[in-house]
Amino acid sequence: MQRLNRRTILKTAAAAAATAALPIRAYAQGEPIKVGILTPLTGAGGNDGPRMLKAMQAVFDEVNKAGGVLGRKIEPVIEDDQTNPEAAVRAARKLIEVNKVPIIMGTWASAVTAAVAPVCWESKTFIMTVSGADSITQLPHQGFLIRTQPTSKLQAFAHAEFIASQGFKRIGIIGIQAPFALSNREHLDAYLKTVGGQVVSHVIYEKDKPTYRSEVDKVMAEKPDFLYLNGYAPDTVVVLRDLYRANINLPKFAQTYAVPQTTLDANPPDVSEGVMTGLPSADLDSTAYKLAADRLGLKELDGFVAQATDWASLAVLTIAKAKEATGVGFKDNVRKISQGAGEKVYSAMDGLKALAAGREINYEGASGPCDFDSIGDIGKCRFRYSIAKKGKLEFMKVV
Amino acid sequence: MQHITQLILNGLMAGTILAVPAIGLTAIFAVLRFTNFALASHMTIGAYAGFVANVSLGMPVYVSLFAAFLIAGLVGWLSDEFVLKPFRAAGFITTAIGSIALTIALENIVRFIFANQMRGYNLPLKRDWVFGGGLRVGPQQIENLVIAVIVMGLLFAFLAMTRTGKAMRAVADNPMLASIKGIDVNMVARVVSFVGMGLAGIGGMLIGLDTTIDPLIGFKTILSVFAAAVVGGLGSIPGAVVGALVVGVGEELSLLVLSPAYRTAVGFIAILLVLTFCPRGILGARQY
Repeated sequence: MQRLNRRTILKTAAAAAATAALPIRAYAQGEPIKVGILTPLTGAGGNDGPRMLKAMQAVFDEVNKAGGVLGRKIEPVIEDDQTNPEAAVRAARKLIEVNKVPIIMGTWASAVTAAVAPVCWESKTFIMTVSGADSITQLPHQGFLIRTQPTSKLQAFAHAEFIASQGFKRIGIIGIQAPFALSNREHLDAYLKTVGGQVVSHVIYEKDKPTYRSEVDKVMAEKPDFLYLNGYAPDTVVVLRDLYRANINLPKFAQTYAVPQTTLDANPPDVSEGVMTGLPSADLDSTAYKLAADRLGLKELDGFVAQATDWASLAVLTIAKAKEATGVGFKDNVRKISQGAGEKVYSAMDGLKALAAGREINYEGASGPCDFDSIGDIGKCRFRYSIAKKGKLEFMKVV
Repeated sequence: MQHITQLILNGLMAGTILAVPAIGLTAIFAVLRFTNFALASHMTIGAYAGFVANVSLGMPVYVSLFAAFLIAGLVGWLSDEFVLKPFRAAGFITTAIGSIALTIALENIVRFIFANQMRGYNLPLKRDWVFGGGLRVGPQQIENLVIAVIVMGLLFAFLAMTRTGKAMRAVADNPMLASIKGIDVNMVARVVSFVGMGLAGIGGMLIGLDTTIDPLIGFKTILSVFAAAVVGGLGSIPGAVVGALVVGVGEELSLLVLSPAYRTAVGFIAILLVLTFCPRGILGARQY
């Protein structure tokens, strides 16, 4: 057996160092850029997550087919957040610590984003989300977070305006325990008071209960003339059933994500007849919207699919602008390609060409202008309203 | 007063939903002496078996409930035979943890077959019956209560009057002695797994009739079912029904002083109180 001596050790160490250096060379020659997708494939958001995932993948596929960005392919690493904060944090840690992703896109529920965001900013990982609770962007995220969804305040004001325009004055809110629950109530009440109305009752319930009979009784105790259902799809099905059983036929409003077709299918049509729904609308007239619809082979895009298209496009363009795929690179560069006086571009492909030609760009998205303020919020948004008739949602208007 | 009466009625109706799966959990505990958390996935399997029978095959609800019992019972028997039985020699904690792993695996198989979307049964929704100056009860929940009571009665009769039932009680009481007396302990384990998980299947479908079904339907309810069984007395079949009603009424009455957002906490405070003053549950363990 060969004895260990100084020369053998030195040779072995040199060989080990050379081996360790190999992956670094390979990386520089085109190792894929991993990006994290953390979105609800199951749970209350399971209706929206898979569509958002497809929209993001479609953008990355398009970019990869054209050669990728910085000469490297984009490789999405996908995790299911289960619409559950605890599962989401575990998945986020895996994405950050094992897959070493510099960005996470796709969280949906506000409670999930509130739990995942600290994990992201502590590790200097960038996060893009669709969660609307006001509190999300007020977290000390140090610039590592942006969202394409309007705030609860913006949404609640728009909803209140819609409800008040139909002449209702006494609003009862029955909604799930979530970070947006209290702020929604405050904003609805604040707006309604300016037009002579008010929130007369507000009941927050727990998720996953098989019945909400007592909650329904409680919200009705103050005799509202309109009900605002502030939940997610699984619990809204049960609330609608309990309202029907209790013979309460008041006009009702819910977020569109709480009344997808699966909610309507889960109940007899009578139960959800006349429920009005609202959702931040995609920017229907924009070029980016048409490009995204073509890319996905769809006639119409909802707000979530449009936003997911925008995250993927913003991610690609920011990497190209920053010339690196790091969390800090995203933080420092995302606003350089999403707003300002640069050339307007409507897709990742167009933006990459313009950047390659040395021009400044301003990405205008399928969900809207994608202009972010200092805490990561967008400024304005359109809203699309629908009404349930005979078990289907019918278009009312875009405001 | 009317408000409190209505809350009690609502609690009884909520409790009836938990009663049937709680009977299954407690029956398995009585004989096999471990808490089988795989009950959650068997509730899901029952809910989906009932869905296939009711929606895909167009069978009436009561036939679908039988299908839920049969399929969930069959899966329960097989999963106990091939997965949990080898764990039992390692003690009840290992077996209980094994049952958690099993439930996650089975739930994901359901997810693989049926995907994640919410589904509902083909059943017209009935309006509440109103009486006594505005009190309301739901016909569906009354049916649930009747089904829970019938199931409890049948199980009680099975345990008290049949040879297999008596063998199950003997094994529950002293497995070693029962084995010496010639009772086939393995056969008893198979029967109790079949019946217990079959009941879980019925429970899953009853919850689905009231709400919607998705692969998490059992997982979302298992803690409340566990609370009901423990409060009533783990191992006592009438105790499971009493426990379910106590947890249901307790959660509803708490609304007099608490926000509905804290309802689940009340169920677990009930467990703490009952176990502090009455460690074997309200009816005590092992009463048939």
